[in-house]
Amino acid sequence: MNEWEVIAAVLTACLVACAAVAAFASIADALVALEVGGSLASATLMVLAEGLQRQPFIDLALTLSVLSLLGALAFARMLEGEL
Amino acid sequence: MSARHVVATVLLFAGGSLQVLAVIGLVAMRDTYDRVHYVGLASIGALLIGIAILVRESFSLIGDKAVLTGVVLVVFGAATVHVTARSLRIRERGDWKEGIEQQRQRSPRGGGRS
Repeated sequence: MNEWEVIAAVLTACLVACAAVAAFASIADALVALEVGGSLASATLMVLAEGLQRQPFIDLALTLSVLSLLGALAFARMLEGEL
Repeated sequence: MSARHVVATVLLFAGGSLQVLAVIGLVAMRDTYDRVHYVGLASIGALLIGIAILVRESFSLIGDKAVLTGVVLVVFGAATVHVTARSLRIRERGDWKEGIEQQRQRSPRGGGRS
C-alpha cells in the first residue's frame, strides 16, 4: 500500500462523515455536505488514478468535479423555494 | 528518493490534511453559514493533490487533467459557495437584500458587524 492509496482510504473514510451530516442535519447543511463530499470524491479519484496507475480514473475525477458543482447549483436554486 | 518524489509526497499529504480539516469543520460547526466556509478549504486541498500529481507525472495526460480538476473545484467552488449562501438567505428572509439597509443605518461607515 503506497502513500497514494493511504490518502485515498482516509478521504473515503471522510466521505462517510459527509454522508452522516447529509443524512442527519438540516437540508441546508446537507447541501453543504454534498458540496464538500463532491470535492472529496474528486480528490479520491485523482489519488486512486495516480496510486493505481489507472488513467481513466482521472477522467472520472474531472467529470465528477464539474457535475457535482452543477448539481449543487441546481439544489441551491431549488432550496430558495419550499423544499 | 528524488526531490520530485519528496515534493509530490509533501503536497499530497498537505492536500489530504486540508480535506480532512474541512470535513472536521463541516462536522464540528453548528451553523450552516459557518459550515459553508469549509467547501473552499476542501477545494484547495483537491488543488494541492492535483499539483502533487503534476509534480510527479510532469505535464502529461494525467498531470494536466489533475490540475484542471483542482482549478475547476477552486474557481467554480467559490461561485457555488456564494450561490448556496445567497439561496439560504433567500430561504430565510424571502429576499437576500432584507435587513441590509438597517445594517447600513446602524453602521454608516459600512464596516464590521454590529
